[in-house]
Amino acid sequence: MTPPLAQILSPLILLPVAGAVVIALTRREAVLLHKVLGLLVSLATFVLSLRLVSRFSDIAGIQFEERYAWIPAWGISYHVGIDGLSLWLVILTTFLTPLCLLGSWSSIDKRVREFVVFMLLLEAGMIGVFVALDLFLFYVFWEAMLVPMYFLIGIWGHERRIYAAVKFFLYTFAGSVLMLVAFLVLYKASGIRSFDIPALVAAPVDPALQTWLFLACAIAFAIKVPMWPFHTWLPDAHVEAPTAGSVILAGVLLKMGGYGFLRLAIPLFPDAAVKLAPLVGVLAVIGIVYGALVSLVQPDLKKLVAYSSVSHLGFVMLGIAALTTTGVTGAVYQMLNHGISTGALFFLVGMLYDRRHTRQISEFGGLRSAMPWFFAVFLLISLSSIAVPGTNGFVGEFLILIGAWSFSPALVVVASLGVILAAAYVLWMVKRVFYGELSNPKNQGLPDLSAREATVLLPLVVLAIVMGIASPIFTRRIEPAADALVRQVRDATRPAPAAVAPPAKPVPGPGDGR
Amino acid sequence: MNAILDLRPIVPAAIVAVTGVVVLLAQAFTPKGRSAPSSLLSLVGLGGALVSVWLLGSGRAVGAVLAGALAADGLAIFLQAVILAVAIVTVLLSPGYLRANGLERGEYYALLLFSVVGMMGLVSSLELVSMFVALEIMSVALYGMAGLDRARPESQESALKYFVTGAFASAFFLYGVALVYGVSGSTSLERVSRALGVTSPDGFPLAVLGAAFLLVGFGFKIASVPFHMWAPDVYEGAPTTVTAFMSAGVKAAAFGALLRVFDYGLAGLASHWQPLVAVLAIVTMVLGNLAALAQRNLKRLLAYSSIAHAGYLMAALVASPFLAGEAILFYLVAYAAVNLGAFGVIAALAKDGREPATLADLAGLAERRPALSAALALFLVSLTGIPVTAGFVGKFYLFGAAVASGWVVLALVGVLTSVVSAYYYLRIVVAMYMEEPVGEDRWARVSPSAALALALSAGVTLLFGLWPAPVLRLARLASRSLF
Repeated sequence: MTPPLAQILSPLILLPVAGAVVIALTRREAVLLHKVLGLLVSLATFVLSLRLVSRFSDIAGIQFEERYAWIPAWGISYHVGIDGLSLWLVILTTFLTPLCLLGSWSSIDKRVREFVVFMLLLEAGMIGVFVALDLFLFYVFWEAMLVPMYFLIGIWGHERRIYAAVKFFLYTFAGSVLMLVAFLVLYKASGIRSFDIPALVAAPVDPALQTWLFLACAIAFAIKVPMWPFHTWLPDAHVEAPTAGSVILAGVLLKMGGYGFLRLAIPLFPDAAVKLAPLVGVLAVIGIVYGALVSLVQPDLKKLVAYSSVSHLGFVMLGIAALTTTGVTGAVYQMLNHGISTGALFFLVGMLYDRRHTRQISEFGGLRSAMPWFFAVFLLISLSSIAVPGTNGFVGEFLILIGAWSFSPALVVVASLGVILAAAYVLWMVKRVFYGELSNPKNQGLPDLSAREATVLLPLVVLAIVMGIASPIFTRRIEPAADALVRQVRDATRPAPAAVAPPAKPVPGPGDGR
Repeated sequence: MNAILDLRPIVPAAIVAVTGVVVLLAQAFTPKGRSAPSSLLSLVGLGGALVSVWLLGSGRAVGAVLAGALAADGLAIFLQAVILAVAIVTVLLSPGYLRANGLERGEYYALLLFSVVGMMGLVSSLELVSMFVALEIMSVALYGMAGLDRARPESQESALKYFVTGAFASAFFLYGVALVYGVSGSTSLERVSRALGVTSPDGFPLAVLGAAFLLVGFGFKIASVPFHMWAPDVYEGAPTTVTAFMSAGVKAAAFGALLRVFDYGLAGLASHWQPLVAVLAIVTMVLGNLAALAQRNLKRLLAYSSIAHAGYLMAALVASPFLAGEAILFYLVAYAAVNLGAFGVIAALAKDGREPATLADLAGLAERRPALSAALALFLVSLTGIPVTAGFVGKFYLFGAAVASGWVVLALVGVLTSVVSAYYYLRIVVAMYMEEPVGEDRWARVSPSAALALALSAGVTLLFGLWPAPVLRLARLASRSLF
């Protein structure tokens, strides 16, 4: 337990909430104030979150733990903490939020106050999902986060924003409620009268029941990832969302699906996870190839990037399905990479849209000469997205493919096809947008990156390279947790000799009221 | 004090009844052209009653009085407090709405108070005949309130419909009481419970029939499918503050009585009525939510939503009595706050005899009324069952109770129909936040008392969503008094 004054996680959740409340109370007209306050609050949150990195020790267990009884009658507690699986996802969240606020500085011009408020609430919700160690708390953050995202898409989105927002909400809500029922059934079946995740992991339930519960949770997470065939909400939500919404959606929200598998579905239901891993793996690989093929034919830049996410996250799910230390480490690393490179791509597409109010690839061509700096950044991020060695994407995909080899060589071979296809659709898109003659008169004299835009992109570019050449900084902290997960699953599923099996110890839930 | 003359359990209801008479008299003795301070008097009376409920609750437990007809046990005290709070919020909402519709008449408050007396009696009755009397006191006053807006045909239609179906429901209820009496030889729930608690070779077929009739009677009051047909018309036609009061108060009172009758008096027949209630719950959740999808009118939409919520509550009724009690009690609190708030927002906007009736009337409201829109959005989010609202904790408990008692199917239907409900609740949010305002602002500025009422509702919705433990503890204590 972390002593109250040394706690970092709760302040990390409360700071954006407090900021949102303060901003909500200011006058509607003070637009600049809202922007500046929002940026400052999110920057402060980021700086605070960096203390997690500096104090993190490379061990497998939960760190920065905090726990208070919340609803004692049901064994529900406010229990938060992080390990190697969640550390960098928290950092990714706090890192992308200020960039989003800065990136939307001029493109969001109506109802700025509400925009900033929703962004900060969203940030708090996302951090909450990554640090929650109680099923009830996890669900609260998981659902609560839907609301600000729904507003972000629905208010500040493009033409079909309302359709996209409602679809996004209903899709994810439908998946989540099944998960809620699974939690309730698990609560009853485990018999330990607690919603505490570590306690429930230590008391696995009957394997036959696990299959059902795993499936219920897996659907919720698969929708979020999104895995083929649950991905249809994604292109709509991405294309219609404002730039900041797309960046957060791709950068952080999608990661919650993969994270949900790692934190909940797999450790809670190890037998089912092992049994159903081939299914997850096959769907992941279908997603890789399908996403890439659909990206190939997109005439719309943003849709192309959106479908490429389906493909990228297929890799993540393949690494998770493999359930090897290397595969899981690669999956977590790839989630970070995707947040950086796809986040950056959405920023870049958004900047183009701000200039031309179109995203059709055919409208562009020859932009290289008009916007050299923009081009340079775009190219570099594209290379990171297609996992060229030296960039972050390479490390992640490589780890996943190696890690998955022992799981299924056939899937790895097909997945590698996705790597090639990625190069095809990204490079072809770059060619059509930037090379050739600058034939469209509307593209003449387009301004290059402004100082603000460069400030948004610079950290992303730097990270894409640093994470490509100095990956151990990150993987060193992920690996112990990934290894612990893999071990836990192996131990739980190994038919233990009955004599040595440790007795299922009742975990002391906080004030079991009955 | 002599136990027979210990009248403390009926003091709160008596205070409310006396206040009702005072309001009527004050109206009669006020010179023409001046208006009596009816709302203020009502607030004082209701506040006094709430204090006396508080004192009853914190003092020594009081047994049944009036020949075992009424008691101030935990369940009664908890729900009486809820009902009084509902009435107070309704009174706060009323002056502005009545003024906007030209309905400023003292009998509105008097009827409201009498109806509260009925509700309080309903939740404290330990005996079926006094329960019936209380039910009638509540209902008759409500018929009058529904038809208060005599100039509007919808209001009259609403009153007549409510009266006719209500009379039907009462007949069923009485028939049920008669059958139960026939088998057990008593109308006292305690004796009924004892008589039906023994095992009998033929399984009390008449008592089962009686239970079914009682269920039909309650089914009308809580608007469960297939006894719900009156609800949309009555909710739409009645003055909006009356609708708010009805939807929150009647549900709390009727479910309190339902809990007492079924989980205590008829507990011995549980294996007979549980499947019946389960089927009704499923049908109610499904049909209520599906019908709400098709509604364009706000009050009708909320009426169907209230039908759906009756279904969620019934889903918990089949759970083990212990879990059902606390889950239902908590949900009634959450639901009352949220529903008062949602109808309250509509009522608060009423101006010159008009109020927002359709989704289109709310288009772009967020631009003009940010705070009010945020409140309505919060209430809708709570009705959907999204954290961090009381509605989420409530649904979690209802479905948790169902799952813990082995009724996973009820929880599944409940959550899936909640997804359906998200669609129609979201449509209101879409209209307020994502559509552009049309025409000029036709709605009233919210009066200070209405603002207070809405702030209370919103505060409760958020507070009990974030920190439900204290209320849950009270609900648990209250439900223990059932056994």
